[in-house]
Order: sequence, then C-alpha cells, then structure tokens
Amino acid sequence: MEVDLVAITLISAVASAAVLLIATLGLAVVFGLMGVINLAHGEFIMLGAYAALLSTRAGLPFWAAIIVAVVLAAAFGAMVELLLIRRLYSRILDTMLATWGLSLVLYQAAVVVFGAVTPGLGFSFSSVNIGAYGISAYLLVLIAVAALLTAALYLLLTRTSYGVLARAAVQDPQMSAAIGIDAARINTATFALGSGLAGFAGAVLLPIVPATPGMGFAFVVKAFLGVVIAGPLALSGTVMAIGVLGALSNITASVWSAVFGDLLFFGATIALLRVFPQGISQSWRMKL
Amino acid sequence: MPFERKSELLVRAMLRDAIRRMASGWRKNLICAALIGTTFLTVPPPARADDPIKIGSIFDLTGDLNIYGIQQSRGLHLAVDKINEDGGLLGRKVEIVESDAQSQQAKYTQYANTLLMRDHISALFAGLTSSAREAIRPIARRANIPYFYSSLYEGGACDKQTFVTGPSASQQLGVLIPWAIKTYGRRLFVMAPDYNFGTISTEWIRKYAADNQAEVIGTDILPLTVTDYSPTIQKIQQAKPDVVVALPVGANQTGFLEQFAAAGLKQKIGLVSTNYGSGNQQIALSVDAARGIAVSPEYVSSAKSPQNEAFKQAWQTKFQTTDPIIGPAVDVWNAALLWASAVKKAGTIDSDKVIAALESGLSLDSPNGAITLDARSHHLVQSIFIAKGNDKRDFDIIETHDRVGPAFEQKVCDLIAQPQLAKHFTSLNDAKSR
Repeated sequence: MEVDLVAITLISAVASAAVLLIATLGLAVVFGLMGVINLAHGEFIMLGAYAALLSTRAGLPFWAAIIVAVVLAAAFGAMVELLLIRRLYSRILDTMLATWGLSLVLYQAAVVVFGAVTPGLGFSFSSVNIGAYGISAYLLVLIAVAALLTAALYLLLTRTSYGVLARAAVQDPQMSAAIGIDAARINTATFALGSGLAGFAGAVLLPIVPATPGMGFAFVVKAFLGVVIAGPLALSGTVMAIGVLGALSNITASVWSAVFGDLLFFGATIALLRVFPQGISQSWRMKL
Repeated sequence: MPFERKSELLVRAMLRDAIRRMASGWRKNLICAALIGTTFLTVPPPARADDPIKIGSIFDLTGDLNIYGIQQSRGLHLAVDKINEDGGLLGRKVEIVESDAQSQQAKYTQYANTLLMRDHISALFAGLTSSAREAIRPIARRANIPYFYSSLYEGGACDKQTFVTGPSASQQLGVLIPWAIKTYGRRLFVMAPDYNFGTISTEWIRKYAADNQAEVIGTDILPLTVTDYSPTIQKIQQAKPDVVVALPVGANQTGFLEQFAAAGLKQKIGLVSTNYGSGNQQIALSVDAARGIAVSPEYVSSAKSPQNEAFKQAWQTKFQTTDPIIGPAVDVWNAALLWASAVKKAGTIDSDKVIAALESGLSLDSPNGAITLDARSHHLVQSIFIAKGNDKRDFDIIETHDRVGPAFEQKVCDLIAQPQLAKHFTSLNDAKSR
C-alpha cells in the first residue's frame, strides 16, 4: 500500500470530519448545551451561506463576507429565540414542531427569493499535492479552522464570565435567577451564538458546498446524531463523536462506497447509544 | 384534493350522528335524504363543448430537483400560451392543472391518480427522474391517457401511452463516448447517481466504451444525499483514468464538480457528462470548475436559430429572467406542441385517436432544431450537440449531430407491430428482446 495513498486517505478523513464538525458546533451549543431541538439548524447554515455569497458578489472580500454571515445569522437567531423558542423551553415536542415549521418556511422563502440555482463564488482555490495525489488546499485550511473554532468556543464557555453565566442559566435556571442572573437574556445570547456558528459554517463551507436552498439537509441528520451521541459534555463529546465517526465513515466510503460509509455512521450511532445510553461523555470528567 | 374529501366525509358523519340523536322517524329520514342529496353537488357536471381541455402537469417545483422542475413547468406554460394564442384546440382553450411533486417519488403516483380521477385530464406531462416515470407509466396505461416524459434518461421505455421527448442514453452517449475516447483516451471512470438512471447509464457507457476499444476502469455510484466527494476523488486518483464521465443529478451532486476541480484533477483528466447543464449547474459552479466540461445535450441555450431566438424572446418576456433555458424545458415545450398537433390531426381528444395521430410521424421545427416523433418507438429523432463550458457560465457548441435517432429504442421497441408492449428495456435485457 503506497504511503501517499494512506496519507491522502487519512488527511481526507480528518478534513471530512472537520467539515462536519464546523457544521455541528452550532447545534452542539443550541441542542447539546441548551437542550433546544432546533430542526431549522440546516436552514441557518443555508442563511449564512447565502449571506456570504451575496456579500462576495457585492464586492466584499471573503473574510468580510464571513463576518457579515455570522452577524446576520446571530441576529436572526436572537429574533427567533425571542419570538419562538422562548415560549417553548420545557416543551420538547412543541419546539420540534415549531422549528420544523420554521425550517420549511425558510427553505421555501429561499427558493422564492434566490431561485433554485444561484451564481456561485467567483473564485476557487488551488490544490496541494501529496505524492501522486492532489487535495484541495482549502480542505487543509478547514482542518485548521475547525480546530481553532473548537478551541475558541471552549475558551469562551469556560474562561469568560459570559460562558459561566450561560452554563449556569442552562443547568439550573431557578438557582441562577435566585442569585441574580437574567436567564432570559443569557439564553437569547446563547441561542444567537449557536445560530452565528451555523451561519459561520455555511459561509466557510461555500467554496466546497455550493449554496442551494436545500444545502442544510445534507448536514442536519449527521449533526443531530453527533450531538445526541455526544452526551452531557456538549463540546468535547461532539468533537469526539463527530471526529471519530466522520473520519471512519469517510475512510469506509473511500474503500467501499458512500452507502457503506453512511451505514457505518448510523450503525455506530446505534451501537454507541446502546452501550452509552446517556451519550459517550456520560462519565467523563471535564468542564464542557 | 383528497384532503377535502376526508373532511367532507367527517362532517357528514358528524351531522348524521347529531341528527340521529335529535330527530326521529320521518324527520330523520328527510334530513338524511337531504344530506345524501348534497353529495351529488360534489360530482362534476358533464363537460360541455366550450369547456377548456384540461391537461395535467406534475413537476418538481420544490425540493432538490427543482433546478429542473421549475423550468419544465415554465416550458409547458409557454407552450400552452402559444397554443391558446393560435386559437386553442378544436375551438377550445387548453388549461393546465398543475401539481408540485416536491422531489418526492410518492407524490408522483398520488398526484397522477388525483389528476386522472378528479380533473379528468386528456394528457399528462410529468416527471424528471426515471423512477418517477416508471411509477407513472402504469397509471397512464390503465387510464389510457397519453403520457409525455420530457427529460434526458437512460433509454428503453416502451409503452403505448408513453411518449418520450427527452434524449435517450443511446442518443447522447452514442455521440459523447466516441468523442471522449477520441479526445482524451481509452480509460474511463464513471460517477453516477444511485438509481435506475445512473446504474443503467453506467451499463450503456461500458457498452459504448467496449464498442470503441476502450474500458471503464472504475465506477462510483452515489446516493443523491452525499455532499462529501473526497472518497470519490481518491478513487479516481487511484484509478488514473483519461476521462471521467460524470452524471450529476440534483443540487448536491453539483458539489462533485467543484471538488473535482479543487483537487487539481482537471489538468490531467477530461470531464464529460450527458446531464450536466440540464439543470443550469454551470451557474452555481465557480468559473474554474465549469470551464472545459464537455456535454452532449439535445438543446443549447446559446444556439443561434430563428426558432430559438423567438422561443427565448417569449420566455424572457413571460418569466422576466435571462438565465439560460435548460434542455428539459424545451423537451416539455416540444411534447406539448406535438400533442397539440396530434389533437388537431385526429380532430378529437379521444385517447386512442390522439395516440394514433402521434404515431403518424409528426415533425416540428423546434428551438433545438428539426425534430420528428418516431412512430414505432415513441421517441424523438433530434439533434445532439457537443458543447463545452466556457468562462461566461454558459456553453459553446463544438459539434452538431443532426437527426440522431434513438438507435436502441428503434431496435427493441415497435409499438405499432406490438401495441401491447409495456416494458423498460435496458442493455442488460437487450439480448432477450425481439
């Protein structure tokens, strides 16, 4: 077995896991941390993608377009939280219904406003050679982005005062209120953070996943599975779940076919939940 | 809609219960009779001679496949506008009863049945995927209504009621594969979607490759939900082909072409397709990814002909868009105009007579050139172009092949000699046919 084939397979696997992780971190905050089942998560990703796409077509450089996408998605998330989610915090089924309806509305609105096919990015990225094999340089960039994003999120939620307040408001709302934390505003901010992360994902993945109204569907299922397996420690559990399963299913798809890759992902999910009913991080001792 | 029926039944049942409880004897009988009488209000009155002729349309206006469906629907609306402007059919206007299949297979069968039973349509224009066509074909057959399938596909559909105006694999691949082998080399790799169109087309590519002393050295058949193509790209790099034949269906598979270019493979490996561009995918791709992809469509939006200019003018005026028009839209337009000319020739909308008129060798001067409906195979003899993607999100025509017949379908399917045939022929069961 050639060395460069092994190398490219491993690097592709890590890149694939990184892409999935970037798309899932927003859900890890909203669902893993807050416990809100946001079925419109894919549509938030799509909103970020379109915001970034339109910004680049308006002349902004790509990094500025990403910032625009994050701000818009976070603002939209805050609005959704105030109008919709806030009234449904302890009602899981109703939250699912409401966010599912929101997802349908956003999807169809995107079809009506943007049409089924939108002109894509005007630029592309170079490739990098590993032995006889080429890989897009952008995929390597995304591996770094995923790592930095995870680290930044961890620091935000554990080392800043906002992070401590956010985790307190989620873990024990009544006690937090008793000691003077405004749980309602903190929760709005946390939901906006999760939405902003989804918007970031859509924007940053634009060079490899063209913006279409239905692009969110491709990520949503695996993102939810990843966060469910992750367990009580939203961040480290998600990183481990998505990292391992994403990489393994990519390698399986390379060796056999995409169908077997998906089978592995879903089969492993079932097996892991059988062994760890609360999620894989149920007995870990970490902060987040 | 079936929904109304259910709530109607529910209301009637509730009323019946209420009446049973409060009325008695002759009053109850009178009220029940009145209720039953109201059901006759739901039965449509017999059609009068100046009522519009209804035709049914089911396309994917939403969902992943709407990149094709919206334009197909527009093609039908434009054609019906033209028919009505030219005086209608048999003195009556034509009216479209439209349904949105939402890119879901089950909706096709549901709406086909609804349109036939509730709206009494005279002809059906529906379907993009081959799986949808195979689901509708038996329904149209049982109802004995002409059914027009207007999209490129893997070929071989043979049914008295079914008429195909999209190009078949034998037409497109028969032109594309020899060109690709001559231009790029003899080692082919196939990327195809995981349903009958993709798998059967792959078999056709193997056959045409073998006919031209070339070989398919690897394939990757992918479900429509995949967005991560790095496994496919690795397989391609391992196999080291001269040319990749890609058959991307839906918005997600457009990502394959972007990732193929991003991995730097376009310098070394040619990329050809029969269906890329049929959903305007070249608009969504970056210019680097779109440049140089060779396709073999039945229609190119930038083709210069008086019919095409008139067609584009009408389209842009009605729909207020300058996006390129895709092949399936023109296929639907052709289907509608062929049906209209058959109705005029038959002098009636009676299905048997219209089908006989459709089998009398109709021709049309279409935006994509001169087309003829082949009587025996129910497929079109039409032009096939070889075109390459350019830097302006459009295609340049390189070669034009006029009057390309559906060779395979003409060989296996003769619906005049064998009118009872109802089969989907593939290269795999070709040996057993005729």
